Amino acid sequence: MEFYTCFDRKRPVRLDDATRAFAWESLHGKYGQEAVRNGAIAMDGEEGFAALPPLAQYDLCIRRIAERAPLRLVPGEHICGAATLGAAMTHHVPATLGGEPVFYSVSHVTLGFDHVLTLGMDGIAQEVRSCLNNPDFTPEQRALDESLLSAIESMRIWHGRYLEAIGETQPEMRARLKRVPFAPAQDFRQALQSLWFTFAFVRLCGNWPGIGRIDQMLGKYLEADLKRGAITLEEAREWLAHFFIKGCEWIEKDTPVGSGDAQHYQNLVLAGVDEEGKEVANEVTYLILDVVEELGISDFPITVRVNPRTPERLLTRVAQVMRHGGGVLAVYNEDLILDSLAQHGYPLKEARRFANDGCWEVQIPGRTNFIYLPLDALRALLIDTLHLDGEPAHFDSMAQLYAAYDAAMRRVVEDACDRTLRDRLDGDGNFRKKQPCSVVSLLEEGCAQRGRSYHEGGPIYTVVSPHIGGAPDVGNSLYAIDRLVFQEKRVGFDELMRVLQRNWEGAEALRQYALNRITYYGNDCDEADAYTVRVLNDFAGMTKKYDGGPIRFPTGVSTFGRQIEWAPFRAATPSGRRKGDVLSGNASPTPGTDAQGATAVIRSFCKADLKRQVTGAALDVKLHLSAVRGEEGVAALIALIRGFVALGGYFMQLDVMDAEALRAAQRDPETYKTLSVRVSGWNARFVTLDKQWQDMVIARTAQEI
Amino acid sequence: MKLPVTRIQRFSTHDGAGVRTVVFLKGCPLRCAWCHNPETQRMGREMMYAAGKCIGCRACEAACPRGAHLFSNGAHVYDRSACALCMACADACPTQALTPAAQEMEAEEMISIALRDRAFYGREGGITLSGGEPTAQGEAAVKLLAMAKAAGMTTAMETCGHFAPALVAPLAGTVDEFLWDVKDTDPARHKRYVGVDNAQILRNLRALDQYEVRIVLRCILVRGVNLNTAHARAVRELFASLRHGVRVDLLPYHPFGSQKGEQLGREGGGRTDWIPTREEVEDFRREAGL
Ligand code: SF4
Ligand code: SF4
Repeated sequence: MEFYTCFDRKRPVRLDDATRAFAWESLHGKYGQEAVRNGAIAMDGEEGFAALPPLAQYDLCIRRIAERAPLRLVPGEHICGAATLGAAMTHHVPATLGGEPVFYSVSHVTLGFDHVLTLGMDGIAQEVRSCLNNPDFTPEQRALDESLLSAIESMRIWHGRYLEAIGETQPEMRARLKRVPFAPAQDFRQALQSLWFTFAFVRLCGNWPGIGRIDQMLGKYLEADLKRGAITLEEAREWLAHFFIKGCEWIEKDTPVGSGDAQHYQNLVLAGVDEEGKEVANEVTYLILDVVEELGISDFPITVRVNPRTPERLLTRVAQVMRHGGGVLAVYNEDLILDSLAQHGYPLKEARRFANDGCWEVQIPGRTNFIYLPLDALRALLIDTLHLDGEPAHFDSMAQLYAAYDAAMRRVVEDACDRTLRDRLDGDGNFRKKQPCSVVSLLEEGCAQRGRSYHEGGPIYTVVSPHIGGAPDVGNSLYAIDRLVFQEKRVGFDELMRVLQRNWEGAEALRQYALNRITYYGNDCDEADAYTVRVLNDFAGMTKKYDGGPIRFPTGVSTFGRQIEWAPFRAATPSGRRKGDVLSGNASPTPGTDAQGATAVIRSFCKADLKRQVTGAALDVKLHLSAVRGEEGVAALIALIRGFVALGGYFMQLDVMDAEALRAAQRDPETYKTLSVRVSGWNARFVTLDKQWQDMVIARTAQEI
Repeated sequence: MKLPVTRIQRFSTHDGAGVRTVVFLKGCPLRCAWCHNPETQRMGREMMYAAGKCIGCRACEAACPRGAHLFSNGAHVYDRSACALCMACADACPTQALTPAAQEMEAEEMISIALRDRAFYGREGGITLSGGEPTAQGEAAVKLLAMAKAAGMTTAMETCGHFAPALVAPLAGTVDEFLWDVKDTDPARHKRYVGVDNAQILRNLRALDQYEVRIVLRCILVRGVNLNTAHARAVRELFASLRHGVRVDLLPYHPFGSQKGEQLGREGGGRTDWIPTREEVEDFRREAGL
């Protein structure tokens, strides 16, 4: 049982053999496979179902799921509950009519799980009931709150089935489950069971929530238990491991471990300050790092909130886990994000609660309805501005060209926001009806009070975040035009446009010049970075006019994987890329353009005013294994994180490249053009080596010398 | 003050303490048969030509005043004997198939590049001079190091140790950590494979050890040359005799430098029989008491 690592030392072993075996099964798809077989609950036999109003249909679906979903009790597991219906893994409520799912489910949301721990579901039900007393409520608002109570009752049915199934075999687990999640948790084990059971129910009903600040939620329980000798750190580690292992229950057999495909946005956040400004990091934080270091579980992508005061102990552990690769850990620059949220109008105390949405976009958990709008800036330049799909445009100066791009991008942003406003609000500015989602609304503050669902303006904040994609490629393209046409006069503007329309055919020398002789974004070259920085900063101002409405439109920077999807629809770029090339992801440099290493990439990124990208800007940094070996390697990772924070970064994901990655570089040299390898004082860019030498470097990397 | 720089590598993590910026300078008094960075050996200009990158655009032919680029049947021949190293063709080449092995760079510029990463250095990081042999630049290397110190960076130097004794004191005052190459402890073999014997190198090492500096010994391991028990024991003794020795790094030989050798128009190198196995490296490590 070896859990994969790309690092040259094995992962430490701290957990029980039984726990490790449980992890092995789960990571290799045992439970995911079961779920796929279970599929969904058919509603076809329900008399009159089709005639019911949507909310009643939804309530009934949830009820039947609670009554009929297969239960799973794994011998030896410390906490119980499982999301066993495969249709949930396809982002639907797992209930079908005529074989088709009836409702979509919700993701990109982190729910108020902290309330479940402190109030219990019964406490939450009581709150909903008191809202129902509101004499001003319309029948529609009452119906919504009734549906919230129905969700709780369905959960109670599912809960009762588990109690019955456990029977007398596991008295301790039974006793805990008798209490939680309906009553407040009293100790660490109860808290973990309460959190998991609620999370599992929400997922059973099809939703993909993030967890939020798990160490803050659980820390006080563990601390009290440790103090009174009710648990040891070793025991607590086992319990947390079970939480993580159970979280892998949707991994399917054929998904390779750590590929990330099996992730269902179940992000969590560690460390950082609490509402009062006190550091949250506690034993739970460290135990979780132990667990992911040992098991390599990447299904709960973790982001650590880092600030200049973050304890060295924590950063050291973070770096040690990062070295194993797989991109399990990322970091937030906490102070910048707090500034950013404050600038956007959140009170400081509220801002300090931030977590992410199940991806890395920042939101206030349990209070926010969130979606983002992916916008392709490169398309705005190549098609909307330069018209490379028809009669190309002509510009006499960079100022003229930039102004035209800026206007085009502004149209893209405003179109997207206006479309959202039309879609979400009616003529009177009230939220329109959407598909029901009471299981989610239940754990979002504001829904019960306002009698409105998660999608209908219920939560305290409704956030729609336009995200710019392709900004580095817009910056690079503008810079290439500036150099090739205006500064160096190597080619006329109109001629360059025709060359691009021909996909660079017949202009290979010019293309090579653009590719090799111009420095682009990501090399800490101020002149080259300036265009990308300007594109990002100007974008941040484009939603200003929507301030003050019922929907907030803060901006962010991302593509996630969309750079791959977009590739076929973009034209060739002035920076030497052909049509169909995969270009930059998130705010990272275009593959193959960053030749100066990680610190230069970080510096380029941080030149933009990232605090204006309120919901986030992500940078992916790839490091070769040789850079992070040994004690110096840990120090190097810490230095990168500290530098990133000092320079004003937002979100950074550090990935370690191993021999496998080098093989990928061999197959796809364009993408890995700048991967530097270093062996015994010798250095070279990997793809500049002959195949024979590359093979030797790979062998050497694999061999650990 | 300009110096010939073959490369500046930022975010280097294994060339001294912390995150460092390594400046590779061109020129070295030694001629190690196994040189890993042959483009840094010779003083003076050199052209690197990577044939695999050439697209046959003939821009070099047009730029060359000496007719050193010949094209026949689509094949590109670069005639080094006709070349005057004016670098006009490298400037014209769109693909970087032709590149000068080094660039003349002002010391201020090197310092300002290194300072760009100040946020990542913490207390430990800073600048490392490498090469080539930094002391081949004489007093200029010392000046550069002093400038780095004045700018608040820590300094390290990778050196083969073969330099004029007069440099010992100035270097001791400007270098925090020496990464000191131990090519071989056998004087005859040293002369045979490196070009000089090691007497001067050892004298410099002992002299420097009298100062408050940190010294890391770096031992290249070449199978069939110095990968033997006697050398391992001698390394052990050498290290034990130092007052300021920090640790010993082992650098197993690899032939990757030979590709750069080819691009410089040089023959030879790239001997695969010189590559030690992992077990041999571990044996050596044990014998050397590491
Ligand atoms: S360096 Fe000058 S002389 Fe030599 S080939 Fe190039 S252009 Fe010709
Ligand atoms: S200029 Fe460069 S790419 Fe063009 S023929 Fe000469 S060496 Fe080849």
